[in-house]
Amino acid sequence: MNFITALINGLSAGGTYAIIALGYTMVYGIAKMLNFAHGDIIMVGGYAMYLTLLAAGHPILALIAAIVCCVVLGVLVERFAYKPLRGASPLAVLITAIGVSFLLQSVAQIAFGTSPKMLSALKIGGFFSIGTLKIDYSTLVTLAVTVLVMTGLTVFVKYSKTGRAMVAVSEDRDAALLMGINTNAIIAVTFAIGSALAAVACYLMLTKGSSVTATFGAMPGIKAFTAAVIGGIGSIPGAMLGGILLGVVESISLSIPALAPYTDAVEFAILIVILLVKPAGLLGKMRREKV
Amino acid sequence: MKKILALFLAVLMIATCAATLSSCKKDSGTIKIGLSGPLTGAAASYGIAVANSAKLAIEEINAAGGLNGIKFELLSTDDAHDASKVATNYAAMEAEGMQVALGCVTSGPCLEFAKLSKDANLFFLTPSASANDVVKENNAYQMCFADGNQGTYAGNYVKSLYEANTLGKLGVLYKSDDNYSTGLYEQFMATIPTALKDAAVVATFTGDEATVDFTSQVTQLQECTFIFMPIYYTPAAAFMTKAVGKVANNATYYGCDGFDGIDTSVEGFDITTIPQKVSMLSHFNSSATTGKAADYIKAYKAKYPNAPLNQFGASAYDCVYALYYAMKTAIDAGKEITADISASELCEILKEQFNGSFTYTNSVTGTGTVKWASTGFVEKDAVAYVIKEAN
Repeated sequence: MNFITALINGLSAGGTYAIIALGYTMVYGIAKMLNFAHGDIIMVGGYAMYLTLLAAGHPILALIAAIVCCVVLGVLVERFAYKPLRGASPLAVLITAIGVSFLLQSVAQIAFGTSPKMLSALKIGGFFSIGTLKIDYSTLVTLAVTVLVMTGLTVFVKYSKTGRAMVAVSEDRDAALLMGINTNAIIAVTFAIGSALAAVACYLMLTKGSSVTATFGAMPGIKAFTAAVIGGIGSIPGAMLGGILLGVVESISLSIPALAPYTDAVEFAILIVILLVKPAGLLGKMRREKV
Repeated sequence: MKKILALFLAVLMIATCAATLSSCKKDSGTIKIGLSGPLTGAAASYGIAVANSAKLAIEEINAAGGLNGIKFELLSTDDAHDASKVATNYAAMEAEGMQVALGCVTSGPCLEFAKLSKDANLFFLTPSASANDVVKENNAYQMCFADGNQGTYAGNYVKSLYEANTLGKLGVLYKSDDNYSTGLYEQFMATIPTALKDAAVVATFTGDEATVDFTSQVTQLQECTFIFMPIYYTPAAAFMTKAVGKVANNATYYGCDGFDGIDTSVEGFDITTIPQKVSMLSHFNSSATTGKAADYIKAYKAKYPNAPLNQFGASAYDCVYALYYAMKTAIDAGKEITADISASELCEILKEQFNGSFTYTNSVTGTGTVKWASTGFVEKDAVAYVIKEAN
C-alpha cells in the first residue's frame, strides 16, 4: 500500500518537474541555449503570488498575476540578456544565464529578506481515503493540471501555426528564416510559454504547502533540468517522460528508509545510467556534428 | 594659580580613589559573584532575566543567614552580547574583588570569559552559554545543556517516556544533508533502547528546507504518535501543516533548539492551526504550576512583575544555589571558606566539589537533581517545554 501511495505521490511530483522541464527543453530546442535562470523565474512567480495575496487575497488572481509577471520577466530577460548574445559562443550564453540566475536571487533576497514566506491561502488541504490509502487533493490537482498542460502544449505545437513555426525553427533556424518565419518572435514566444509554465509549476508547488524563499526555484530547476536531459533535451515528450520518471524514482526512493537519505544521489545516478545507455536521452535525437 | 588648582584637584581625586578602594577591601564581609551579560541590546531579555534571578537567589540565601553568616553579592556588568566588552568587564569585576562567577549569559562572550578565568584560576558556572567549548577548561561548568549533546538529552527524555509506557509509536524526521540534524539524530538513536530504535519509523529529506514538499514523509510518519524532529522551524512548520488530518491529532511533535521561534518566526504559519502538541527539549518549563519551578516563577513574578521570565533566568537561579550548596558541602567536609578567600583558593575547592560527587538537589531546571560530568557538562533530565498544547 505504501508503494502505491509513493507511486501516486511520485506521479504528482513528477508532473511538476515535467512542467518545469518543458521550459528548459523548449528553450533549448528552439534557441539552442540552456536557460539556467528558468528555476528563478519560478521563484519570482512565488513572490508575485505572495504580493497579490497580500493585496487582493484570491488564489486564482494570484496565479494569473504570477503568470503575467513571469511571462513579462521571461521575455525581458530574453530580450536584454540573451538576444544580444545570439551568435556568440554557447559558453558565453551559459555564463550569462547563470549570471541572470544570481541576479534574480539576490534582488529577491534584498527585496523580501531571507525569512521564508508560507502562502497558506494557496494551500489545498484535505485528502480522501480509499481503504488505508490517503491521497491529497493537492496531488490530484497537480496530476490534473499536468495532464491538461501536456495535452494543450502537444496540440498547440502540432496544429497551431506558431507551434509549427516553433518546430521549424528548432529543426533548422536558417531554413526557417528563409521560409519567412520571424525567428526572433518565435524565440520570444518560446520564452513566454516556458515562463508561464514556470508560474503554473510554482502554483502547484505552493498548493502542497511549500514556502517561498529567494532560492525557492533552484533545486526544482536543477531536478527539472535533469529530467529534461533524461528525456532527451529538446524533445517535448521527452521532458514529460523524464519529469514523471524522475518524480516516481524520487518518491519511491524516499519511501525506502535505507535509500531515503541518498535520494538525490539515486536520482542523479539514474541520469548517469541513462546517458551511458542512450547518450541523447530517452527520446532525444542523435545529431551528428561535423568536427 | 591654575596649576595649583589642577594639582589640588588631582590630589583630591587620587585620595578619593584610594579611599574608595581601601573601603572596598575593608568591606569584605561578602563573597562576590561576577556576571557579564547582555543587559542592553537585542539579547537583553536573556541578560536581564539572568541578573534578576541571580539577585533573587542571593537575597533568599542572605535572608536565610547566608553561608554560615557570610553573605553573597552580585557584581553584574553589561556586555551587550559583544565578546570584545568582556575583558573590560572582567577587569572591573576583578578590581571589585570577584571570587567566583556565573560567567557570561551568551556563548560568544563566554568563550572570551573562559580564557580570562582560566588564566586567573577563577571558577565559573554559566547558566546559559551552551557552546561545547565554554567548558573546555576544568574551571568551567554549565547549568544549561551543551549544544553538542542535545540529541543525547532528547534520547534520554524519550527513553523515560518509553519506560513509563507513555510514548506510543515513535517516528523521527531529520534532514540527512545537514550537520545539525544528522548529529542530533545519531546521538538520539544511540541513546534510545534497541527495541525502540528498531520499531521507530525514520523519514528524511534533503535540499532547500523551505521548499521541501513533505508528501512522502507525512505518508511514512502518519501512524506515529510521537515524532522527534531534530530540524529547524521552517521545514518543521511545513511538515506540520502538511500533516494536518493525517497524523493523529493527539500526537506530539518534539524538537530541539531548532524549534525555538516556530510560533513566531515563520511568516504565514499560524501554530494554532496545528492540532497536535508541539514541544521542545528544554530544562525549564515556564508554565509549570507545581514543584520548585512553580515556586521560582511565583517569587520571580512577585519581585519583577514586568521583567522577562525565561529558562535563562531559571538556570541562573539554580547556578547561585548550586554554588552555595557546593560551598556548604565543602565546609561540612572540613574546608575553610571565609569571606575574603581568594578566587584561586575558592576555585580549587569548587573544582573538587563539581568534579566529585557533589549533587545539587531540588533544582528549578531539569527534574530536581543536577550533577556534573568531569567534562563540565551538566547531567540532568530534560523536560519538554510545551510550545502549544494539543487542541
